[in-house]
Amino acid sequence: MSIDLVCREVVELITAYLDDALPADVRSAVETHLAGCDGCTTVLEEFRQTIALTGMLTKEQISPAQRDILLAAFRGWAPG
Amino acid sequence: MQTPRASEADLALVERLRTHDEGAFMEIVDRLTPSMRRVARMFVSSDAVADEVVQEAWLGGLQGLGGYEGRASLRTWIFRILVNIAKTRGQREARSVPFATLAGDDLDEPTWDPAAFDRTGVWSTLPFDWRGMPDERVTGRETLTVIGHAIASLPPMQAEVIRLRDVLGWSSDEVRNALDLTDTNQRVLLHRARAKVRAAVEAHLRSVNP
Repeated sequence: MSIDLVCREVVELITAYLDDALPADVRSAVETHLAGCDGCTTVLEEFRQTIALTGMLTKEQISPAQRDILLAAFRGWAPG
Repeated sequence: MQTPRASEADLALVERLRTHDEGAFMEIVDRLTPSMRRVARMFVSSDAVADEVVQEAWLGGLQGLGGYEGRASLRTWIFRILVNIAKTRGQREARSVPFATLAGDDLDEPTWDPAAFDRTGVWSTLPFDWRGMPDERVTGRETLTVIGHAIASLPPMQAEVIRLRDVLGWSSDEVRNALDLTDTNQRVLLHRARAKVRAAVEAHLRSVNP
């Protein structure tokens, strides 16, 4: 028996869908729904783009003071 | 659920660490410490204590390096050490932080406004579609600033999951193991975080293109 999903359910499954973490029958129900639903396809594509944009954020840096402390700790552990 | 194993790069880095290669240590310290500091801070009372926890975790990691067998990725392994130390320290401070405080108390609610759907769960108001907008507007610096602010305003565990997954590119298994979350919780936190960030991007793009 095939699963029938509505838009309200599909938008909650997008992250699991993108992670390929859905059971096969649910995954295929999501794909069937997306193929016939512009609204949910929009949301899926916007999630994809949001993820790509988030990946463009600058990586944070450690403070110089903390870096010095950790370097000293390493030298204590592995005396030159 | 499978545990992410060490990569070739991990094993090479561990070899360098075992031969006391300072450059190798600082390489991984630079990469992981900002996240470790925030994760520690979730469980302890101050930035100063979080810094101590991070130092203790790195020292514990170095001392325990002999026992690292590559069954988990190196970053997952060091985060496990960190989270254990941070939780113990938090308990000693009698600072018990409820999971809901870290994760957000909205995990059972829908991520999308229920008013957008009719009684049967079908769209009654179609989602805002920014895909026709000029690329430079969508992917511009302003959008990235909006995303940064949106992440900073998330509950701490949601923020950390989306940072590790989508900013730093960790796998779901690595994040689940590193932060000691269930598979389901990891995904629920990530989905909620992404939905809020997407909503912030939408609000931003609507405002610049009325």
